[in-house]
Amino acid sequence: MSNEDIEILKRALQRQKIARKQAEKILEEKSRELYSLTQELKAANEKLEDLVDVKKTELQGVFDNLVDAYVLMDISGNVMKMNHAAIKLFGYDIVEERLNVVKLIYKEDYQYAMASFQKLITNGSFTDYKARVYTKHNGVRTVHINASIIKDKNEKMIGAQGIVRDITEQLKQQQIFEEQKAQLSVIVENSSLGIALTQFGKIVQTNKAFQNLLEYNKEELLQLEVKDISIKEEYAESANHMEKLNDGLVDNFSVNKRYVRKNGSEFWAKTNVAAVRNVDGGVKYQVALIEDITEQLKFEKQREALVKDLEKSNKELNDYAHIVSHDLKSPLRSMNALITWLKEDYADVLDSGANDSLNMLLNKVDKMDHLIDGILKYSSIGQSEESKHNIKLQEVVSDIIDVIHIPDHIKVTITSKLPKIKGDRFRLQQLFQNLIGNAVKYNNKKNGEVNISCKEDGNFWSFSIQDNGPGIPKKYHNKIFQIFQTLDSTIESTGIGLSIVKKIIDLYDGNIWVESQENIGTTFYFTLKKQ
Amino acid sequence: MALTFLLIDDDEIERLKFARVLQKNNYSHKLIEAKNGEEAIQYLENAEELPNLVFLDLNMPKMNGIEFLKNLKSNSRLKHIPSIILSTSNNHNDLKESYEIGIAGYIVKPLKYEDYVQKIKCLIDYWAVNELINK
Repeated sequence: MSNEDIEILKRALQRQKIARKQAEKILEEKSRELYSLTQELKAANEKLEDLVDVKKTELQGVFDNLVDAYVLMDISGNVMKMNHAAIKLFGYDIVEERLNVVKLIYKEDYQYAMASFQKLITNGSFTDYKARVYTKHNGVRTVHINASIIKDKNEKMIGAQGIVRDITEQLKQQQIFEEQKAQLSVIVENSSLGIALTQFGKIVQTNKAFQNLLEYNKEELLQLEVKDISIKEEYAESANHMEKLNDGLVDNFSVNKRYVRKNGSEFWAKTNVAAVRNVDGGVKYQVALIEDITEQLKFEKQREALVKDLEKSNKELNDYAHIVSHDLKSPLRSMNALITWLKEDYADVLDSGANDSLNMLLNKVDKMDHLIDGILKYSSIGQSEESKHNIKLQEVVSDIIDVIHIPDHIKVTITSKLPKIKGDRFRLQQLFQNLIGNAVKYNNKKNGEVNISCKEDGNFWSFSIQDNGPGIPKKYHNKIFQIFQTLDSTIESTGIGLSIVKKIIDLYDGNIWVESQENIGTTFYFTLKKQ
Repeated sequence: MALTFLLIDDDEIERLKFARVLQKNNYSHKLIEAKNGEEAIQYLENAEELPNLVFLDLNMPKMNGIEFLKNLKSNSRLKHIPSIILSTSNNHNDLKESYEIGIAGYIVKPLKYEDYVQKIKCLIDYWAVNELINK
């Protein structure tokens, strides 16, 4: 072996040494790593075991506290496990007694139950099973069940589990709700008011009356906005109201506006709009109730026209009374003057016959004047109805007795205190003055008596004016209240006095009637409504 | 002192009545007559001497009493003349309007001539004791 060979060998040996050392070093590191890895794994394993334990406890907790009933059964239907909710629901506890689910199936639902069970086996699960079950204490309940098959490692079916929810109450509530909804919709559908639900100007629901009013069908209306069935000029006003509603300033409003039908024709409707609000107060919908008031407006217009007409004819009547007053009274005054002059200027040549005739002529003129006054008074009753004050009748009637001419042989007495009533002083005075005046004027007895009294009669005051005069024959009892009807032919008897009385009593919703016996006396009874 | 009256009435008999009262009672007052407001205004505008008093009917053709009154009261030369209404009715509106424009009296003409005489005599006697403006 040459030196050179030895050197080569030496170097190779050296390299081998180094390589081994390196390998040892690597081995050492690896085994250290392995060790720590083992340690870590061990720790992880422990941790995992802990975790599994935790999960298991958690699961048990969930299982126990599950609101829904949980039932685990074997393939024969024997219940293996049930949670608190299940015990509570069915009333059975498998710790105390055995339970097979077949026992729970409601008789009439048996077929359905079996079919569902078949499905469970075939498909591995079923959902939304709804049926009735018997319970131990709570009678028949309706339940909702989702179920699935449980298999072992070898795909062998070992049982089934189900989540059961008692939906009896829910169904009942739903039924009530459905019924109420149906009732409500009957009302809405049969309402004679048009009803529409709108949302931001869009029509989202309408009832039959609404559709009929607008002559659109339901679907057509859903495509429309309130704007489309309104008159352009009027929409601004409604929109203004709507804005206030949306801003929460008002909860409802009412407008009279026109609507446009499908064929373009219009109608007037009273529209009530109310807000349906969210919990936060925002407007969810607007409910609009509309009522066709075209007819009503027509009637109102007619009525307005009538009232106007009436006002006009009233005014004309008033003017007429005025004209009558002036134009008829002027010639009478002239006649009176001329006749008086005749008498004065020709006193020397007129014999008693001529004088009598002239006096009779004067009397007739006088009577004519009274008549005109009467008509004027009669026609002016009812013109100043707004002037109602508290009138002390005791005072009014006392004044009348003081003022009118009462001959010495007649005594006028107020026999019971007269009330205070609300009314027009002048009218009430006219009323009493006419009746008392008549009683005094026509009294033919040596000791004349006129008694005025009053009593309360429910909502009315009942008055009587009684005299011991000549009496009024029965056949005239109704006639005397008619205008121009008089039983007397003296100058002052125009036949208007009692018709004025009647007209005034009519204004106070009262009544007047007379009781009389010839030669014994007359009593006028009348009532005035308390105001 | 003799006064001058201007009587405005469309009814001839009414004018006769007034004149007769003056005559029969020996009043020396002067009476000027006009058939309506228009005629009266015409007279007043041209008159050299104005009447002391105006007696005025309300319902007259052409220019009625109220119109005449307004005319009179808006004329500075005439507005001082006391005017007394001689009317048929005591209609509230007439009364109110007349007094608002400015009148010195409002007499309702009675039916009976004797009553009329009585009223006019009272009226004339009253004004006879008053101081009046002579222009």
